[in-house]
Amino acid sequence: MSSARDHRLRSAVAATAYQKEWFADLRRQAAAGAPIALANADAPLELLRAMGIPYVVNQWWASIIAAKRLDEPSLAAVAERGLPDDSRQYDVLPLGAQDLPAGRAPWGGLPEPSFAIAERSGDVTHKIFEQWGRRPGTETFLLSRTGAVPAPEGWWDLVPHEWESVFGADRIDLLQGEIELLIAWLAERTGTDLDRQELARVMARANEQAEWNRRTRDLIAAARPLPVAVTDSIPSVMVPQWHRGTQWAVDAAHALHDEVAERIAGGIGVWPDEKRRLMWIGRGLWTDLDMYRSFQEEFSAVFVWSMYLALGADGYLRYGDDPVRALAARFVGLTDLLYVPPMSSSWYVKEALAHGVDGVVHLVADDTPGSGLITTALEDAGIPVLDIRASNADARSTGDVRRRIAEFIRTRVPARS
Amino acid sequence: MSAGAVVGVVGNDVPRQLPLAAAVLPVRLTGSWDGPVDAQAQELLGAADLETVRILTELRAGAAPVDGLIVCNDSQAHLRLFYVLRATAPRMPLHLLDLPREDSAPARDFARGRLRSLLEFCEEVSGRAADAASLAEAAEAERALGAQLDRLRAARRADPPSSTGTAAIGAWLQAVRLPPAEAAAVVAAACVSAEQDAASTSALRVHLTGSNHPDASVYRELEAHGLVIVSEDHDTGDGAWIGAAASGDADQVVDELVTAHFARVGGSATALSAQRADRTVQMAREAGAEVVGAFIRELDDAPRWDLADQSRALETIGLRLHARVGVAVDARTAAAELAAALRGGHDR
Repeated sequence: MSSARDHRLRSAVAATAYQKEWFADLRRQAAAGAPIALANADAPLELLRAMGIPYVVNQWWASIIAAKRLDEPSLAAVAERGLPDDSRQYDVLPLGAQDLPAGRAPWGGLPEPSFAIAERSGDVTHKIFEQWGRRPGTETFLLSRTGAVPAPEGWWDLVPHEWESVFGADRIDLLQGEIELLIAWLAERTGTDLDRQELARVMARANEQAEWNRRTRDLIAAARPLPVAVTDSIPSVMVPQWHRGTQWAVDAAHALHDEVAERIAGGIGVWPDEKRRLMWIGRGLWTDLDMYRSFQEEFSAVFVWSMYLALGADGYLRYGDDPVRALAARFVGLTDLLYVPPMSSSWYVKEALAHGVDGVVHLVADDTPGSGLITTALEDAGIPVLDIRASNADARSTGDVRRRIAEFIRTRVPARS
Repeated sequence: MSAGAVVGVVGNDVPRQLPLAAAVLPVRLTGSWDGPVDAQAQELLGAADLETVRILTELRAGAAPVDGLIVCNDSQAHLRLFYVLRATAPRMPLHLLDLPREDSAPARDFARGRLRSLLEFCEEVSGRAADAASLAEAAEAERALGAQLDRLRAARRADPPSSTGTAAIGAWLQAVRLPPAEAAAVVAAACVSAEQDAASTSALRVHLTGSNHPDASVYRELEAHGLVIVSEDHDTGDGAWIGAAASGDADQVVDELVTAHFARVGGSATALSAQRADRTVQMAREAGAEVVGAFIRELDDAPRWDLADQSRALETIGLRLHARVGVAVDARTAAAELAAALRGGHDR
């Protein structure tokens, strides 16, 4: 049995390199006068892709800021504006980072966007994006966010084709209508109309990418030992996710699948003597990615699951003849799949059982609903859960995470024989 | 228009004319500043505003006997409450009222559908269908209540004010729980009783913003320190959506109520900070406030994001904003601290 400990996934290395190249190119385009967009992860990004508007995803940029340990100065910049620095940190980091001194921002800094686009999720997102809209040269467009009615269990088998029933036609009507307004808003400002055939092609590529993610997720779920560290699978999945709808992203998802299959065939494991399989529910702990590997030596415990590949596998597939309506269906309830019971709780149980999980670490952010019901559902399925209430993008709140996880493993997650 | 059923309402988006026309009395549930908190309710809701945790505590204890419940999607905490109740109380007739915030053609279409669905839910609970006559009767009653509320506003804005904030918030909180005629009588009585113990002319005139107030205790504490609250923009006081009514058949009523919904500035969790700041300035100015206080509960995040805008906007009309944020268990002590800050520099 070989170990993958010292060999990063080629897909992860390639994705990270590609992202740096892409970002440098985006900076060049912005410097040349091209309008760019900053968009929340739940905004209809495929529309921007089809209209040729380069975009940066707010949450991805926040993860880079946090990973570069620039969360504290970025939050301090937020506080200097008279805004709270302990509320929705993940969403607000990029706003604060714009005020960092030149040369300190990661990757040369985010060019000032022309468009800031988000859905009105929670109590504060619209206020954060309102702040973006006050920056010189930036305008904000907000989309509605409806409540999860209905919220069926077993949605993962239905969403590719039966999304009208999963999310409700009236909710999709609203978002479709607002996307049409966004199309007109962008066209007015860029002078470029949406080519709907191009959007259909983008949607088709996004579906193809998701199909590869499904196959990859299924391979990893069945493999023993775990062939790929989550710290590798996250960039391998998420960088292509932010480029969803491009051929590069399809190829990257395909390559990841093949590399995982190759590792399994070669008997490669992250920790060949794995005795405890852990699931990480919640956003990635960008301020301490080494944490995910830190329980291997002492406990032979490996994190086998994070939401990023799993959501890429189950959450994004939407087939349909009308690309704008299918796009609305992709985003109308995407976050609900992660947070709203019973959609969320039934999915996590399904994924935990499929991956043979022995214990769950559940990172609960202040803005995520339904955490108690998710934990209860997993415990009821016989899977111990550690709840940690903290922000993944604020190192001030995650100081003792490693100690708590170690204690959890020691006391509640017995080793497999 | 006799009510055949009682439905609890969490949030501030329900146009009362619709449930009233369907023989349903909408009773707003607001929790309290210092009521008990059930540990399981806290666990189920997670990091949520304590106001909502206390509402769930009351519902789980059966302290709010209702035939059904309408939850408005007007804050993250309320939406969580809906999700929790849907999962844990499957036999309770439960309805989410989900209204968009930004006016547009698709938003109006959606809002119309939501209000029609609200009416259907109320009809199911009461077993009685709304018709043109019941809609007209409900409209008339709500308008009469609205007129009394205008009187109360005027009494508070008089110089010197002929109404205390404590009496006013008490009247608002009762009004959102009573049938319109009884509510109008309570409000009218509040005007009269307020006149009898009219606030001292030396009291500092305060506009209050921030979190909503589930009961009158914080107002009472603030006004015990030489203040008189002449106006507020939170949604259990003057920001409560009550007294709105429309004429015509059901479709026309729904259309007009949708227009009224988009015309109002909602609570902090749904509005932009600039909108909230404009509203605060407008109300403080109209009420002749001398200073503005913000009283904000822990985990009620949205009002904190408005403070910077509110402060800057108030400065332009020469008013200072003093804030007490992160209020948790001891609201009265926090109120006394805010009162001291508000009085600082305004001693008479």
